[in-house]
Amino acid sequence: MHGFHGRLLHIDLTSRAISLIALEESRLRSYLGGIGLGASLLYEWTPRGVEPFAPDNPLIFASAPLVGTGLTTTAKFAVLTKSPLTGFIADSLSSSRFALELKRIGVDAIVLTGRASSLVYIFVGHGKVEIREAERFRGRSAAATDTLVQEDLGEPARVAAIGLAGENRVRFSTISNEGRHAGRGGVGAVMGAKNLKAIALLGEKDISCADPAGVEAVAESLRRRSLGPLTEKYRSIGTVANLSVFDRLGTLPTRNFRQSTFDGAEAVSGEALTENHFSRRHGCASCTILCERLFKSAGGEEQRLEYETLFALGPLCGVDDPQTIISAAALCDEYGLDTISTGGTLAWAMECAEKGRLPADKNLSLRFGDGAALLAAIPAIALRQDIGSVLAEGSRRAAAAIGGDSGYWAMHVKGLEMPGYEPRSLKTMALGLAVSPRGACHNRSGAYEADFSGAVDRLHADSGRGALVAESEDYTAVLDSLIVCKFLRKCFGDFYGEAADLLAKVTGWNYTAAELKRAGERIHTIKKLFNVREGWRPEDDWLPERVLAEALPNGVAEGVGLTAAELSGMIRSYYRARGWDDAGYVPEKKLIDLGIS
Amino acid sequence: MAAAGKDLFANGSAVILSGGKSSRMGTPKALLRFDGEPLIVHLARRLSTLFSDLVVVAAPGQDLPPLRANIVRDEIAYQGPVGGIYYGLRASAGEFSFVASCDVPFLEPRLIAHLASLIDGYDAVAPYWENRFQPLCGIYRRTVLPHLKHQLDRGELRPIHLYDKVRTRKVEEEELRRFDPEGLSFFNMNSPADYALAQQKWDERKRFETETEKEDGASISVSSPVSVTVELFGVPRLIAKTKEVCLSLPEAATLSDVFSALAVRLPVLAGRVIDAQKSALSSGYACNVNGLSFVRNPSVRINPGDRIFILAADAGG
Repeated sequence: MHGFHGRLLHIDLTSRAISLIALEESRLRSYLGGIGLGASLLYEWTPRGVEPFAPDNPLIFASAPLVGTGLTTTAKFAVLTKSPLTGFIADSLSSSRFALELKRIGVDAIVLTGRASSLVYIFVGHGKVEIREAERFRGRSAAATDTLVQEDLGEPARVAAIGLAGENRVRFSTISNEGRHAGRGGVGAVMGAKNLKAIALLGEKDISCADPAGVEAVAESLRRRSLGPLTEKYRSIGTVANLSVFDRLGTLPTRNFRQSTFDGAEAVSGEALTENHFSRRHGCASCTILCERLFKSAGGEEQRLEYETLFALGPLCGVDDPQTIISAAALCDEYGLDTISTGGTLAWAMECAEKGRLPADKNLSLRFGDGAALLAAIPAIALRQDIGSVLAEGSRRAAAAIGGDSGYWAMHVKGLEMPGYEPRSLKTMALGLAVSPRGACHNRSGAYEADFSGAVDRLHADSGRGALVAESEDYTAVLDSLIVCKFLRKCFGDFYGEAADLLAKVTGWNYTAAELKRAGERIHTIKKLFNVREGWRPEDDWLPERVLAEALPNGVAEGVGLTAAELSGMIRSYYRARGWDDAGYVPEKKLIDLGIS
Repeated sequence: MAAAGKDLFANGSAVILSGGKSSRMGTPKALLRFDGEPLIVHLARRLSTLFSDLVVVAAPGQDLPPLRANIVRDEIAYQGPVGGIYYGLRASAGEFSFVASCDVPFLEPRLIAHLASLIDGYDAVAPYWENRFQPLCGIYRRTVLPHLKHQLDRGELRPIHLYDKVRTRKVEEEELRRFDPEGLSFFNMNSPADYALAQQKWDERKRFETETEKEDGASISVSSPVSVTVELFGVPRLIAKTKEVCLSLPEAATLSDVFSALAVRLPVLAGRVIDAQKSALSSGYACNVNGLSFVRNPSVRINPGDRIFILAADAGG
């Protein structure tokens, strides 16, 4: 078999049982790798209704056919579990050398179940699996754990680990490797619940392609394209470039979504950061784009910042000091916290404090724009100290705990905090956020692309958006399952055609564009089926109340809102485009069409 | 800010100082041929779109071509710019004056209009370009006359000493770049080489304007352009070192014309952000008009006052 190994590694941490299980070719053809294979395994391995922190909730690491082929941007892996934040699917991607090592240990996925009796780490290498003691790493950051594990092994293994937040089951904690994070949905908390501190991999297996010369030719072509103007934003400034544009377009969520422009945008713009704080450009293994930007903190340390981190710890919390944001991002990385959910939950808490909903002696002096309070609150969340223990549950549970009307300003979908794309002034994105299986997500579809392209009127809702969102989800599902980075997406002319050809060259399968498109739909559908089985109801596909009740107060989108009727209409158009019933359930016929049994 | 037009500043005057020694140039600067006419005539015409009152300060006995201007002579020759500003302001009819020397061929009317618009509440408006004040491209209110007289009496011949004594509005480079990205308004000719460079730049500009004229079948008129502002984001902002640029275009101009004009104004964008034919954006870039519509068709007409954003085509974050 080329491109795949045709088996998965199952480790049960309770019994310490280890087994290799065959993966039939038909499943790999149907779901590819990464998010697709992971979602298919998650559906199979998750007991219906399992509590996310229960030992039986599987934590799945999935590799993919293009990983290790030398194709630019493909050193990625997927992490899936039932999310402790949403109760639905958590499907996260991360990247870099851990991804290559996962492929080289000779399995397509690792499925972890059970719970170790004390803190452990797993080592896979030299043809064996070891479960090793990790109590002495307790409380250490993922980066420190990486070093300590390698010292312990005496070998240069690639390590993915959790920080203190994961150990403490903060519901939005991450799994980190080499400064990259499987960030959204709380996969780190599930790893912590399994008493698993880290996974260290040392691979030895060659990665084979059916047509090495053909793959090499495509790799060269993509490498060339990846260095052209289509990726210049990512190569020259990085994703932080979004901030000044979003501010000017009235799409920058500010002060907990009360505004969509930020008076301090100039100070924290990507351009200003680049001019005043830039330290170094960096990238994942196998990548030619190198979109990562490291900025210098006041103390001289380097810290990676992406747009989402910048927005969530900056404008969303009213903070306009770049150094505070850099420090806050460093704290999140140190503890292993998803920066979007951290910012989102703290913005909710700031509004609570402003409205007197938090006891004065317990509100950590939180208020919009107060950088010192922001920096003090992040450790409180990771350590679950005082009010931090409430915030560690995420904005939805925190609002339920505080009660009153505080749910009105808890800005999440299905429990996942909103990313930095204002839905009222990006109507296609509004729909994408509402219906995404993992909650308010900007990654598992690129719905905003239509809004920023001129193909639609971004300020007005219409019934054409359903098809656009569905197409974007399917397309992204394929990208996320091959795996190819989204930042390469514009470099393809005919994506499905080129990608099918590439997949054929790697696997030796006769794979067509139409088959690939259908795989995208199938992958998205299995995620939805997982959610339905875990209790999804039609009301879960919705947006926070504030978005539907308040018009934007200023900027170019001043006065623009989104009504419940408009949102309902777009959601109906989406279900119709998907061939689902009007309530959003997947009919049997659709399952048969897609070959989902 | 109002668009530049005839008599924009009814209460203002323009003062041109022409009485310098021109020693390095070797020939009187005011009489250098520029665009087919003496430089001072060229400048007077450019400034007449903003101010109807024009004062030219000349050295005693200096030759000048016929000008529609109030010509005054330095009472004492070669006292430097402080003397020139003093005599010019004293002879002007306006409450304030824009003061320039006669060797600056590229005065940008939009920049001057912006500087003039800043004088409310101040005695002087002082552009600060490349780490230096540019007193010979500044605005002065008549209220500074006693201070200038005092400086002349004491032999303080550097105009910038005035800024410490009166209410001065310093205009930083970033603000200036919005109206004159390359700072050509501050380009003065001191040597034959400067003169040759200026002529070359002028020819380039004329050639571009003629081409645009041919393509559009419409004429470019200094007095009735469509003014638009281009806002730059991300890479374009960083490489052009400016956030926005004002452009004047023919009445029926399209986005294509905006991109062409922008490539001329900010050559650093040509090739990288604006494509080789200079009539469209490169594939990695998108255009939004007034923060509302993303426009993909470059033949779309623009309207006066439009704000045109140029940003990365990919909004992924």
